[in-house]
Amino acid sequence: MNWKVLLAGAIIVVPLIVVLALGFGKDPHALPVTMEHKPAPAFSLDAMDGEGHFDLAELKGRPVVLNFYASWCVPCAQEHPWLVQVSRTYIPKGVVFLGVLYNDEPAKGRGFLARYGKNYPTLLDPGGRVAIDYGVAGVPETYVIDREGMIVRKFVGPVTPDEFLAVLEAVL
Amino acid sequence: MLGRSAVLVALAACAVGAVAGIYGGARRSAEAERWARAMAWTFFFAITVAIGLMEYALLTHDFSVSYVAKVGSRASPTWVTIVSLWSSLEGSILLWAFVQGLYTAGLAWFTRRRFPDHSSYALGFTMAVGVFFCFLVAGIANPFTPMDPVPADGPGPNPLLQNHILMVIHPPSLYLGYVGMSVPFAMGVAALLRGSIPPGWSRALRTAALVPFGFLTAGIILGGWWSYEVLGWGGYWAWDPVENASFLPWLTVTAFLHSAMLMERKEQLKGWTLTLLMASFLLTILGTFMTRSGVFNSVHSFTQTPIGPVFLGFLALCLVFSVILLAARVDVLSAPEEGLSGPASRDTWFLAQNLAFTAFTFTVLLGTTWPLVNEALTGEKISVGEPYFDRWGVPLGLLIVFLMGVGPALPWGRATPQAIVRRFVVPAVAGLVTVAGAWAAGLHQPWPVATFGVSAFALVVTLQELVAPGLARWRSRGGNPVVAVLTGMVRARRRTGGYIVHLGVIIVAVAVAASSGWRNQKEFTLVEGQSLEHGGYTLTYLGAETVQKSNRTEEQARFHVARGDRSLGELHPAMNHYGRMPNPIPTPAVRSVPAEDLYLSLVSVDPAAGTVSVQVIIEPLIWWIWVGGGVMALGTIIAVWPSRRRLSAVAGRPATGRAAEPSTNPVPTSTEAAR
Repeated sequence: MNWKVLLAGAIIVVPLIVVLALGFGKDPHALPVTMEHKPAPAFSLDAMDGEGHFDLAELKGRPVVLNFYASWCVPCAQEHPWLVQVSRTYIPKGVVFLGVLYNDEPAKGRGFLARYGKNYPTLLDPGGRVAIDYGVAGVPETYVIDREGMIVRKFVGPVTPDEFLAVLEAVL
Repeated sequence: MLGRSAVLVALAACAVGAVAGIYGGARRSAEAERWARAMAWTFFFAITVAIGLMEYALLTHDFSVSYVAKVGSRASPTWVTIVSLWSSLEGSILLWAFVQGLYTAGLAWFTRRRFPDHSSYALGFTMAVGVFFCFLVAGIANPFTPMDPVPADGPGPNPLLQNHILMVIHPPSLYLGYVGMSVPFAMGVAALLRGSIPPGWSRALRTAALVPFGFLTAGIILGGWWSYEVLGWGGYWAWDPVENASFLPWLTVTAFLHSAMLMERKEQLKGWTLTLLMASFLLTILGTFMTRSGVFNSVHSFTQTPIGPVFLGFLALCLVFSVILLAARVDVLSAPEEGLSGPASRDTWFLAQNLAFTAFTFTVLLGTTWPLVNEALTGEKISVGEPYFDRWGVPLGLLIVFLMGVGPALPWGRATPQAIVRRFVVPAVAGLVTVAGAWAAGLHQPWPVATFGVSAFALVVTLQELVAPGLARWRSRGGNPVVAVLTGMVRARRRTGGYIVHLGVIIVAVAVAASSGWRNQKEFTLVEGQSLEHGGYTLTYLGAETVQKSNRTEEQARFHVARGDRSLGELHPAMNHYGRMPNPIPTPAVRSVPAEDLYLSLVSVDPAAGTVSVQVIIEPLIWWIWVGGGVMALGTIIAVWPSRRRLSAVAGRPATGRAAEPSTNPVPTSTEAAR
């Protein structure tokens, strides 16, 4: 065993591995921290097909689930039927479910809902202003907002069912 | 389903082959080696079937396959559909595994009748690397997951990747470079475990490293070219972590190719040479990790996945294995026969070249990982930008070009002062004349002008060396000098190839210096019919039109280009809107002539108001970067090309390589008995 070589190798290799390992769990694309445990950005949007107007301030006192989706997004289609099913249980318990169509045309969104199910309104977000306020980087993203208007949990990508249900129970 | 089965067969074959190969190496068992060979071919065929099935699924738009649903789109043209295989993570890993299969089969074929001492280990370790990638394809990054429900259509691949035909060749070329590094790595491991590097194995190592070197060179240059033609900022290299990731192994493997010559000729620097070789492989794994893990912020990290931790584990395993193996076995390799031959010998300057490349490697590695280090230490996010890399990279690059002139001009071993003066006079004068000429011509930027001078020096040396063997032949035998020089070049194929690569490097160095030193960029906003003048060109905005293509909508701005009174035709820079993607992607329009490029990139188009904003960039000599890259690739092909003479020589005396080898096991073993 050549100890000098071993030592030199260790001096280069060990810090490299440690630094790379520490790099995990930190998303270099992350917007300033996450949105969790922050007040949810206000919005005031019209729903598709004249299903009303929604203002976050007026929803205070009720938990809100905000799901950003698009018809062109495959994972959205995968999670959507399940979300609709869950909403059938939780809307009667007082949770407000809202979809937000992200970067898409209403007509295509309508087709998506016809295909994958519909149980709650979809908001139109012209120019993606609200998506920007929420820091949506891609769809689907789902925000769970509690009665005080604080973001409790942000799901990037399709919601993880167990966790999602647990969060919902917690904000009821 | 079938695809998954093929991948599982490949995985099993790799695992069995790895065990058999390593066992066969350790026990010198011919039986085990035969198994390893059979498994190498099984691996190759199974993974070929898997990738064939995936291409078939892509081409038939079978959206029940998860990867097709992710990157396929009925609207994409056929070529985009074919290349979408490597537009996203799962497909790239599958391609990776396939290339690994290809190289494994290649290694099995090349060693089929040679190197009985080393080939079993080499095959075993190549397949051990293959196990990891097959495991990824079979498990975490399985592209064959069935979809339920089956979507009717997919989003298509990342629009940046649909934008240019270069995307067809840039990624596969880099993969061929990256994956190919595992073969010389495995061969180096074999040499360490066996405790000997006979000259034949050393030569085979160099050839095995030249192949990935060539692909890596081509891949890097093509990547720069793609970025230039597609990204619209007029540059080709940004010291992005992923670009650095491809550059790092290139640096170390280049250093290896040089120190391997010392190893081959003089039995020197064996441990160091093998270290460089192993570092090249480890850096390719690090590079892949950077591209694939999302730990680094980069234009390339469009693939963020849970694959990162697994990859880090593999990287850590390889690093630790390599360090321990080197430390344990380096002393077993025979000691150098003689020391270096003093400061005026080629040997010493080879070592200097090696140090320069190593310094460059550490500079880039440090700059690339510093943001992570800093975040770990202080919690702050910083980015290390071009100023750092340029400050260190430019002088180091210049030093390397300089050494490229000094080294070859010196003889192996000792040289008399008169000989040295004779060899250096012409090149040195050429360099100084170039600097003086450039200065007199009004070029007053120190670094680029210095680059021109050093390049001229290196160029003259390289040309001298290229024609030297032929000239000597002509002096002694007479005849046609041109024929003599060409014959000399063909005879010494490896040497000729090497110097042609040097020529390519010189061309690239000059082009990089000129295009960055005298880049002339300005942004203009025009209304229809208005003209602008920049760098001697007159551009007239003729208007914008919308062109519908199968997979995108192009907003084209039409410019008429003239130089003085001479019309040079039209240029059409465009903004591309891909149906399902939010932001438009600009496509620049470039007019290339050898002297300079005129580069137009749209900033915005407003058809209603009839206005356009456009970046106009003039970059002298930039076209020569791609030419230089081509010359380097050509040189590599010439160096690798098997000469009939050498092949027959090796086949004719299979025993000499063995006899020269200090055998660690003097008792005839079963392998030898079998032969």
